[in-house]
This record gives sequence, C-alpha cells and structure tokens, in this order.
Amino acid sequence: MTRKKPKIIKERVPTPEVPVEERVKSFVEVNLGYDFASAVKEAERCIQCPPEYASCIKGCPVHINIPGFIGKLIEHRDDPKKAVKEALKVIWSDNTLPGVTGRVCPQEEQCEAPCVMGKVGDPINIGKLERFVADYARTHGIEEELLREFVSNGNDIKGKVAVVGSGPAGLTCAGELAKMGYKVTIFEALHKPGGVLVYGIPEFRLPKEILNKEIAKLRELGVEIKLDHIVGKTITLEELLEEYDAVFIGTGAGTPKLLNIPGILLDRIYSANEFLTRVNLMKAYEFPEYDTPITVGKKTIVIGAGNTAMDAARSALRLGSEVTIAYRRGREDMTARIEEIQHAEEEGVKFEFFLSPVEFIGDENGKIKAVKFEKMKPLEERDAKGKRKIVGTGEYVTLEADTVIIAIGLEPNKIISEEASSLKTNPDGTLVVDKNLMTSIPGVFAGGDAIRGEATVILAMGDGKKAAKSIDEYIRKKHLSA
Amino acid sequence: MGYKITKKENLSAIDFFMEVEAPHVAKSWKPGQFVVLIVDEKGERVPMSVYYAEDGKIGMFIRRHGVTTFKLWYEKNVGDKILSVAGPLGKPIEVKHYGNVVFAADAVCAQAECYATLKAMKEAGNYTIAIHSFENRDNVYPERFLAKSVADEFYITTEDGSVGRKGHYLDVVKELIEQDKVDIVFAGGKLGSLKKLAELTGSYGIPTIVTVRQIMVDGTGMCGSCRILYDGEVKFVCRDGPMFDAHKVDWDDVIKRDARFVEQQNLARERYIAKLREKGVI
Ligand SMILES: Cc1cc2nc3c(=O)[nH]c(=O)nc-3n(C[C@H](O)[C@H](O)[C@H](O)COP(=O)(O)OP(=O)(O)OC[C@H]3O[C@@H](n4cnc5c(N)ncnc54)[C@H](O)[C@@H]3O)c2cc1C
Ligand SMILES: Cc1cc2nc3c(=O)[nH]c(=O)nc-3n(C[C@H](O)[C@H](O)[C@H](O)COP(=O)(O)OP(=O)(O)OC[C@H]3O[C@@H](n4cnc5c(N)ncnc54)[C@H](O)[C@@H]3O)c2cc1C
Ligand code: FES
Repeated sequence: MTRKKPKIIKERVPTPEVPVEERVKSFVEVNLGYDFASAVKEAERCIQCPPEYASCIKGCPVHINIPGFIGKLIEHRDDPKKAVKEALKVIWSDNTLPGVTGRVCPQEEQCEAPCVMGKVGDPINIGKLERFVADYARTHGIEEELLREFVSNGNDIKGKVAVVGSGPAGLTCAGELAKMGYKVTIFEALHKPGGVLVYGIPEFRLPKEILNKEIAKLRELGVEIKLDHIVGKTITLEELLEEYDAVFIGTGAGTPKLLNIPGILLDRIYSANEFLTRVNLMKAYEFPEYDTPITVGKKTIVIGAGNTAMDAARSALRLGSEVTIAYRRGREDMTARIEEIQHAEEEGVKFEFFLSPVEFIGDENGKIKAVKFEKMKPLEERDAKGKRKIVGTGEYVTLEADTVIIAIGLEPNKIISEEASSLKTNPDGTLVVDKNLMTSIPGVFAGGDAIRGEATVILAMGDGKKAAKSIDEYIRKKHLSA
Repeated sequence: MGYKITKKENLSAIDFFMEVEAPHVAKSWKPGQFVVLIVDEKGERVPMSVYYAEDGKIGMFIRRHGVTTFKLWYEKNVGDKILSVAGPLGKPIEVKHYGNVVFAADAVCAQAECYATLKAMKEAGNYTIAIHSFENRDNVYPERFLAKSVADEFYITTEDGSVGRKGHYLDVVKELIEQDKVDIVFAGGKLGSLKKLAELTGSYGIPTIVTVRQIMVDGTGMCGSCRILYDGEVKFVCRDGPMFDAHKVDWDDVIKRDARFVEQQNLARERYIAKLREKGVI
C-alpha cells in the first residue's frame, strides 16, 4: 500500500449529537455517528502502526486488527462500498457485533487508551469508526453480501447444538456455529431475544433496530430461537444433552444485588434491572398505550456509578424526574463509560460522591421519601481493583427522594445451577470452566457474564466465539471416536 | 408465533376459565408452579396460576381485574393467540404424606391451585379437605371446576350464606383445627385473609404454606419486583416461592407492595373501559 505519510492531526473529527434540550424528552439515540466522508477523515489521522506493535490491538479484549480495518477505509476512500466491505471483513474475523460494541465498549480503557496518537492529541476515535463500518454495512446491504461469503458451503449438518440465553455471548456462539454448518437452537427465558442488549441498555444508547438486524441475520443462518423457555424449569440441562451434541450456557448475570438495609421494601425503590426492564423491554415510558406501568416521582436518587446506574439515571430523567447519582466512592472511581458520564452530566444528572446508603425512609403510605447516607472518606490504600479504599466517617446526611434506583451490581442467576447439581459453580455463583470454556459437565460449555460475573459485551462476544470453536472440536472428536 | 386459545368459559360474575396450548409448559409443570403470560405486543408480563396441565395445554382461572385480563376476556376467543406464555416458574409444592391436608382458597389464583394440589396430595395418601370461599352467589363457580372430586371433605362458603356455609375459610379452618383434624394448611388468595390465617394457625402451631402474590415482571429472579421480607431476609417470590411458610412472611409489607401501581392500574382500566364503551362492546 502506497500512501503519503499522514500529517499529525491532533483533534478528533467530531461526531454530531442530538442537542440536550431535544434528547432529554425522548429515547432517540444521542450520538449520530460518522458519515463516510468524516469517517475517512478520522481514519486518516491513524498513523497505521504495524499490527505486530499496534498498542490498540493489545488493548482490545478480542484483539481486533484495528489498524487493518482503518487502513481499508483509507485505502478504498474512493469506493465507499468496497472500503466498508473490506473493513467489515477485518472486524468480523474477531468481532461479529461491531454495531453493538462500537457503541457500548469502554474504548477509553481498552483500544483507545494506549493509542499512540493519544500521546500528542486525541486518540483515534476507534469506537465510532467501528460503529460507522457496522452501520454503513447494515444500511447498504453490505452485511448480507459478506454473510453469504462467510457461511460454510455444503449443506450437510455437522451436528446439533443448544444455546441457552440470547445475550451477546449466546448470539455470537449461535452465529459462529451456524456459519460452520451446525443446526443451532437458542433457548431464551424472556419473550424477546438479546439479553441485556434488549432489556437493559436503553434505546438512546443502542437502538433496537441494530439488535433486530443481528437476530434477523441469525435466523437467516438457520438458527432457531425458542422464546419463553427457561432452562432448568421448562426443560432441563439433562434433557438438552439427550437431544443435542453440545450445549452452550450464556445466561449472563441477571440477578440484582439489593442493599440489605432498613426500608428496602418501600414502594418506588427499584433495582436498576426492574426499572430498566419496565422501561426498555416493556416500554413503560409509553404507558398507558403500553400496559406496563412505572412510577417515577420528581426527585430520583440512583445508587451506584456503573453503566447500569447511568442508564437508569438518564432514563429516569427522560421520564421527567430530577436525578442525582449517589456513589460511595469518588469521581475517578466511577466504572461507567466516559461518554455515558459526560452525557449524563450534560443532560443535568447531578453527582454526589462519598455517600453510602444506610437507611431508606418511608412515608405513612409505604413510599420512599428520603435516603439516609453515611459520609465516606477515601484512604491512601488501594484495593485489588486499584480503587482507593473508603471508610465511614460516622457523619450522616439525609437526601430527599421520591424514587430510588439501586444499581450496585448483578450476580449470576442460579436457575440452571440449582437444578443441575453436577454443574460446578464458584462461591460467587459463576460457572466453573476450563481453558476451552467447558464446564464440569462434558459437552456443556459456558461464557459471558455467566462465567465472569458482571463484565462487558465484548468479553461475552469473545467467549461466544471461543466456545463455538471448542464446541466444534468437541463434536468432531466425539463423532470420530463414535 | 403465539399460543392458541383452545377453551374459554365464564366461571362467575368476575372470573373466567381459559385453556391455552403451551406444550413446553404443560410437559414440566407441577402443582405450585405458575406461568407468566403476555396478551399482545403492548401487553404486560402477568403471572397466572395453573389449574391443570395436560395434553400440551394449560388451564387457568382468570379474574377480570384490569387491562390484561379485560383484553383476555373481551378480545381473545377460542382460536386466537396470545403473545407469550413462559414457565413453569417458581418451585413446586412438596408433595408427600402429611396426614390431613387442608387447601383453602378465597380468590381466583387459589381456586385454580386447589384441584391440582389436592389431587397430588390425595395420590400421596393424604386425607384431603377443600375449602372454596366466595363473596356471594354470583361469584361461585360451577362445581365441576372445584376440587370436589379429589377432596375427602369439601366446603363452599359465601360471606352472605347464599351458597354453602355462611362465612369464610378462616371460620372453617378454625373449626377443623379445634376438631383436631388438621396437620397442615395450604392456602392462597386474598393477602389480608392470608395474614389472618397465619395468625390463626400460628396460635395453634399448625404448619401453613401459602402462595404469596406480588407484582412481577420477568418471573425468573432478575428484577426484584416481587421481593418480600421472609424471616428477616429479602426473598424473591418468583424464584424462592411462590409458596412460603405463612408464619415467616412480613404480611404488612407484602400487602403494601401489592398496591404499588394501583393508581396506574386504575387509570389504564378506566381508559380501556371507555374504549369498550366507544366500540359498543359494553
Ligand atoms: C444496564 C446495563 C448497561 C450495560 N452497559 C454496558 C456497556 O455500555 N458496555 C458494555 O460492554 N457492557 C455493558 N453492560 C454489561 C453487558 O451488557 C454484559 O456484560 C453482557 O450483556 C453479558 O452478556 P451475556 O450474553 O453473558 O449475558 P446477558 O446479556 O445477560 O444475556 C443472558 C440471557 O440469558 C437469558 N437467561 C438467563 N437464564 C436463563 C435460563 N435459565 N434459560 C434461558 N435463558 C436464560 C436471559 O434472559 C438473557 O436474555 C451493561 C449491563 C447492564 C445491565
Ligand atoms: C404467583 C401469582 C399467581 C397469580 N395467579 C392468578 C390467577 O390464577 N388468576 C388471576 O386472575 N390472577 C392471578 N394473579 C394476579 C395476576 O397477576 C393479576 O390478575 C394481573 O396482574 C392482573 O392484570 P390486569 O392488567 O388485568 O389488572 P391490573 O391492571 O394489574 O389491576 C387492575 C385492578 O385490579 C386490582 N387487582 C389487580 N391485581 C389484583 C389481585 N391480584 N387481586 C385483587 N385485585 C387485583 C387492582 O385494584 C387494580 O386496580 C397471580 C399473581 C401471582 C403473583
Ligand atoms: S419478578 Fe422479577 S425477580 Fe421476581
């Protein structure tokens, strides 16, 4: 490839966003992304480190060849379709959900963190470029074209696999196996596929249209999706193993942790999962046109500072409430994506730090009216995750609130492990797996939040892909020895 | 997509019976477990008890409470489909030999559960006593829907005495306990009655297992909407129940949480009724 040495351009090509006044009144997507011209402009800022050294690739949990896909945009700048198709090909060999991860990955901690350009100016906007490639491909028929090329030819079916759960881990595993020629059936407990992508992450961050397209692609590949099936209740793991050559468990970490403090049963205290499920999955923001209700008052306190907390806070804001995020640690310890924190602040969400809830105070009707917090203070010492440790000060403050959303974390749902007693779990409820992602039951594999606890979409996707390979090997061996 | 309605029949002035094709649920359902259904694209996820599960179908008793159940009654007929039926959910009742088993019901969910529970209990060698309580004659179901065929002793009560005995299951249970005829009580229905039942049987030391009704969303343990305080600990009704030892439930909180959305429910119901009037349905 011959091209001029790029000039160093310190600043990112910006992506347009819906103005604050407009977006706080609706659930439309906030960031509008690049068009082709601006994507190429941003791509051209990349100095194209060779893949062996590129620090962005090392920073990516699934090691996408980032300079590779960006290079394709530059190389074919005169032929948008070709540029995007070639770029997507590069991405797809490591990541099958770029439309999702381009939007939800914490790029500032992963690929963009070590970017060489970041030392002289802004790092390359890798997330938005990835998203651009996916969006352009989706809306210009490029994805379908490429999909046909990726599918294994020949129509003999190699075997049958059951996938439990339809979050990013399950969807990826199913897609990969279908492409290899397996007959895959997904079992999903809810009435819509997608896992957190459909019930948790709001429309203003991840339009449902993107997920719907991913599901449609899977169906085209011949994947069958059985909704309303709770594995462990509707059908047992043992029954699945009788019918299928292998099983993949991608059941996530869907059980909310609740605070064990007085007043937890008061009305209008929601777990973030309840709140977001009512709003996103059940469309409670369109009540009474939709049947599912939600009640949000004038003053909402969200407890926690991860992505879940930001999503809950910004949803409550859009339902007309003032919102304060109360976090027991400091600003720099918040775990949400930077973009979400920025958006939340722009939209008027307030932040209170070093406050740890000790009691929920209710009115005479059993509704929440205030939260009592202990003031915390940071120590020099750091914990295993590198966060400053905190201690109580013995001083208390009480903040008024007529709605509270608890977003302090999630743990794996135990429905399957309780029923299948030979499935080994760790003390935190995650499933025990070997390096090939096989669980303690031969032929049963697992990945995503089910083995990691609360993690990320990209890691779930990566596990799904890796497990598909292991499952393929496992089934081949089984057939060989049979 | 969807689950076909195979039978529909009125039971009383307020309740009706519906049978739906749901082979995935019917195959594995056991007494005590419930389903979560959604009527249509705009519908809410609502929990329902199961009256029976056989031949790939499940029967349910449904009260015309609000929008979901009105839609089921006014818009859905035999041959139509409903969007979603998920289950079975929750833990099954422990069926074993207890001795004399009472099942007491005073609202739709428990009326549904009575038959299958006592059938299983009878097969396990228990002496079975069914008590169906209704407010008045208009609310009483036809007898073939009740648990008579599986009950060694069978009672119907109405508050005004218009059918069966005058009074409530609480009166009958008290009498039976005093005659020393009760080893365990199973019950469900109105939360207020369950609280009183817990006080009553608690004072005699009679084991009492009841269905706790709470507002649910997913029904699989992922939201905490259905949480209660049980023996001082937070439990999720959908995952850890729905049957609990009545003596360990914090009833006042359960009753308060059941009313969380009353305002919204009433608004939606009034809106729906206005639509029915507009269309001339009622
Ligand atoms: C509100 C919120 C915001 C987030 N934001 C981000 C973000 O911005 N960036 C990021 O990288 N990560 C984010 N995360 C984390 C990310 O969504 C998860 O790490 C990821 O979804 C895990 O994928 P998974 O496939 O393992 O499980 P999930 O997405 O949890 O999917 C599991 C699926 O399995 C189903 N299931 C569970 N049990 C059963 C059963 N017994 N039978 C059948 N089906 C079952 C569930 O219904 C669900 O559909 C967020 C999480 C939340 C909750
Ligand atoms: C485990 C479990 C099992 C259940 N089994 C059954 C069953 O077998 N049959 C059945 O009909 N329902 C059952 N329910 C209750 C059922 O979920 C409600 O009927 C349903 O939510 C009503 O929805 P709706 O939209 O029609 O009414 P909503 O809009 O939810 O309510 C409308 C109005 O009805 C009243 N209302 C609502 N729910 C109840 C209630 N449970 N008791 C008395 N009044 C109420 C309220 O005053 C409200 O204003 C069960 C609930 C649980 C948790
Ligand atoms: S209904 Fe969501 S946890 Fe029980």
